[in-house]
Formats: sequence, C-alpha cells, structure tokens
Amino acid sequence: MTVDAALEIRQITKAFDLGAGRSVTAVKDINFAVERNSICVLLGPSGCGKSTILRMMAGLETPTSGEIVIGGRTVDGPGRDRGMVFQAYTSFDWLSVRRNVEFGMKINGVAPAERHERAEHFINLVGLGKFADAYPSQLSGGMRQRVAIARTLANDPEVLLMDEPFGALDAETRWLMQELMIDVAEKTNTTMVIVTHDLEEAIFLADKIVFLSSHPGRVKEEIVPAFKNGKRIGDKERAVKLDGYAELESKLMHLMREEGRGIE
Amino acid sequence: MPASSSKTPFFQLRKPVSRRQSLISALGIWVVFFGVWVFASSTGMVNELLVPAPQQVFATTFELFFGRGFASDVLISISRVIGAFAMAAAVAVPLGVLMGSFPAIEAIFSPFVSAWRYLPAPSFIPILLMWFGTGEAPKLALLFIGVIFFLITLIMDHTKNVREELVETALTLGAGRGTVVARVIFPAVLPDITVALRQMLAMAWTYLVIAEIVASTTGIGAMMMRARRFLNTDEILSGIIVIGVLGLGFDLLFAALHRWAFPYLRKAR
Repeated sequence: MTVDAALEIRQITKAFDLGAGRSVTAVKDINFAVERNSICVLLGPSGCGKSTILRMMAGLETPTSGEIVIGGRTVDGPGRDRGMVFQAYTSFDWLSVRRNVEFGMKINGVAPAERHERAEHFINLVGLGKFADAYPSQLSGGMRQRVAIARTLANDPEVLLMDEPFGALDAETRWLMQELMIDVAEKTNTTMVIVTHDLEEAIFLADKIVFLSSHPGRVKEEIVPAFKNGKRIGDKERAVKLDGYAELESKLMHLMREEGRGIE
Repeated sequence: MPASSSKTPFFQLRKPVSRRQSLISALGIWVVFFGVWVFASSTGMVNELLVPAPQQVFATTFELFFGRGFASDVLISISRVIGAFAMAAAVAVPLGVLMGSFPAIEAIFSPFVSAWRYLPAPSFIPILLMWFGTGEAPKLALLFIGVIFFLITLIMDHTKNVREELVETALTLGAGRGTVVARVIFPAVLPDITVALRQMLAMAWTYLVIAEIVASTTGIGAMMMRARRFLNTDEILSGIIVIGVLGLGFDLLFAALHRWAFPYLRKAR
C-alpha cells in the first residue's frame, strides 16, 4: 500500500522491563500507516497498548524493535512535528489562554506579530475568543481541552496526537468537542491520530479505525467506516441515523466483546 | 414532632463556622489566656518575680523600645534572619529545582543533603565559634546550616510533584531540556516554593534566637540573656512577645506575597 502516508508504523514491538529479568510485551508486530490529512482512530479494549503506540509516535517512549517514520525520518524523540493532547488537563496555569496558545510558537522563535495573529486565529477556531485573557483556572474542563488543542495546532505540527482527549469530560461536552474536531480537521487539514475506547467516538471521528487486540496488543483489523462514503459528517445526530452506522457499531461491539472474553 | 430536632448543636461535624463565630472564638481564647494570667499574678498565686503581670510586660516592652534603644537590637536580629535566609534560598531554590528535574543531579546531591539534614544545627555552634570568632559570621552560618538542607529537600520534592503531562506537553511542543525546566517546571513549582520558604522562615527565627542566646552581645536573644542576669523576667517575656509578633508579621507578609504573585490560583467568579 503506497498511499500518501504522514506517519508509518513499521513492525513495532514494545516490551516493558519489570525488573528481575522479567518483562511484559505491551504491543507486538504493529504495522499500519496514517494517511496524510486523515483522522486515524486507535480503538481497543483496555490493555491493548493503544496509548503506548501513541506515546511511541510522540517519541515519549522508545520501541523495543521496529520504527516509526514521519516524513521520511525515523522518530527518535519528541518534537514539534508531533503535537500531543493528553486526557489530563495540561494548560499552563500561570499563563493566560492567549499566552498558553502562543507558548509553542514562542519557544520555537516565531516572530511576535505572526505569533499573535496565529494565536488569535486558533483561539477563535476552538471558540474561546471571549476568553483569550482568562486564566485556565477560570475555565471549565471542556474549555481547557480547547486551549490544549489550540496550543498544539498553533504550533503547526505535521500530526496531532490525542490520548483519550475527551475522557474526563461529561457526555454533552464530549459530543460538542467531537464535532469541534471534525470542524477543525476540515478547516486545517491536520493529520490526527486519536486514541479512544469509546465506540461512538471512534465511529464518528474516524476516517480509519485501527482495532487492536489485547495482551499483547496487535492490529486485529483496519476498518474504514464505509457508510460515510469518504466524507466526514460534522453533525453527530445525523451521523447516528445514517445507514450502516448501526452495523458498524455492532461489529465493533462484537470485536470488543471477543477481546474482553480473552482476558477472563 | 420532636422539638429538639429543630435546634442545631454547637459542635457540628465538619460544618464551617460563620465569620462572626470564628472571630468571637479567636478573641475568646486570648481573653481567657490573659484573664488567667492577670488573675494569677494579681492574687499572688504565682511569684510576681517569675511571672510578672501582662500589663507590666507591655509597659516594659514600650519602655524597651522608646527608652532603651531596643529597636536597634530588633533590627539587627531581623537583618540576620533575612541575610542568612536569602543566602540559603539563593542556593536551595536552583539546586532543589535541578535535583527535582534531573535524577542524575539528585543522585549526586541527595545522599549528601540527607545526611546533613539529620545533624542538629546547634551542635555546630562550638566549632563555628572557633572558625569564625564572635562576629556576625557564626550566627549567619548557623542559620544557613539550620535552614538550607530542609529547604533543598522540600523544594526538590515539590519539583518532583510537577505533573509529568506538563513536561511531556512542553516536549511535544518542541521544547528542549533547559526550556522545560525554565519555562514549565520552574513556574509550575514556584507557588509551592513560596510556601516552603514561608515555612522555613519560621525555623530560621528559631535558630536566630539560639545563636543570639549562646554567643552574642546584640540582638533580641542577647537582650533576653542580659535580662536574665538581673532577674528582669518582664524583659524576657517582652523579648518573646516581640519575636512572636515579628514571626507572625513575616508570615503574613509571605501570605500577601503569595496572593499578589499568583493571582491565577484564585478561583475567580
């Protein structure tokens, strides 16, 4: 498969050392590619190592064997080309929203005028225009994740990595945030890799779902939600009603069940 | 209908008290304290020589300041505390932050710092006197030794508590090691450093009094030791009160600094 890949995962295995000569294999022989400008969702039961894979993409963990390639270079540490949004809130509390969003650009030496302009643009994109001068402690959980997303995007990464970014939010906010991500993807053409264990979230966001089995994590199946006909649907209520949505959901549920039983 | 259920008890489990009640309670305990003191000294229950009446202690405090130049002793004591504490902080803050950020630096200094922490600072007084004579140096050295090792350990621990996600976020935004320490870890831990400094300043006052009682002719502690020679218990108690008021004053100052420097920690409406 020679698609235009933004990121390639080649034969990745990761074992964690438990000490005393023992180790546990978290993921084994992982291969897949993330197409440029696409949204790729890593889905699987807990313990499948999906977060480990994402952290290796970010360069925060080192694979035991195999390599991750971005734009022809092998990943060997964290860098601004792979921005990451975490489940836990990561806003810098001592900086206003605006200065949070400018942070990456500032440390990378972007000139002030351009910095201000880009910050303004991305703050408005995530709908925080009125809160640009507020401190993160004055914001709700969903708004703080918006700050983290704007901060990462403003830094102009090649890939946006998200580790269960909406896991700590209430259902209603999560829904809004998912729709926001579709909007952002359409407007910025950013390549995204999103880790989740939420089936609905996976189906709604994904251009492609990489389903992982557990213990150790392997790629069980790559699924393209065919019912979308290659187009993203920005309205979750509409997406749920489309033909094929229910079938895909029950298929994924079945896969999850199968994996879940494997643990017992 | 039980009538007793409508009356709320005075002691309620973990229910906050009103402003008025906390003010009355706070004043009340002091009124009781001074009441017992006045009563005990005026009825002759205690020896007037050993426990002078509070009104006499306050009169003496006034006289010490305005008749006998006690203010210069107080200023000397304050400058010793501030001088030694500033030196200790100037070493402890950068070292503690670096030790909390880089395990390699912690591995070098931690065994050393931990060992020193268990040596009681006053045990160094004899040798400090031999090394530095009787000037300012041995007093400053005692305060420095007494405070710095605890300060380093506290700041290191607070630095380690800076959440890993903040560090990793900065790394994935393209920050290098130095930038992460200077632009993320340090500002994140700064409020906790301020609290640690505030706590350790109280300890510095303790060592100051020890230093001045043992080997000094100036300062609050020295005044108290002079007073002991002439059985002036009222002056000794004045000294204690002045130290208490100064300690409280510095504590409030630090609390105000904390509020002023870190407005973002307040949950604004």
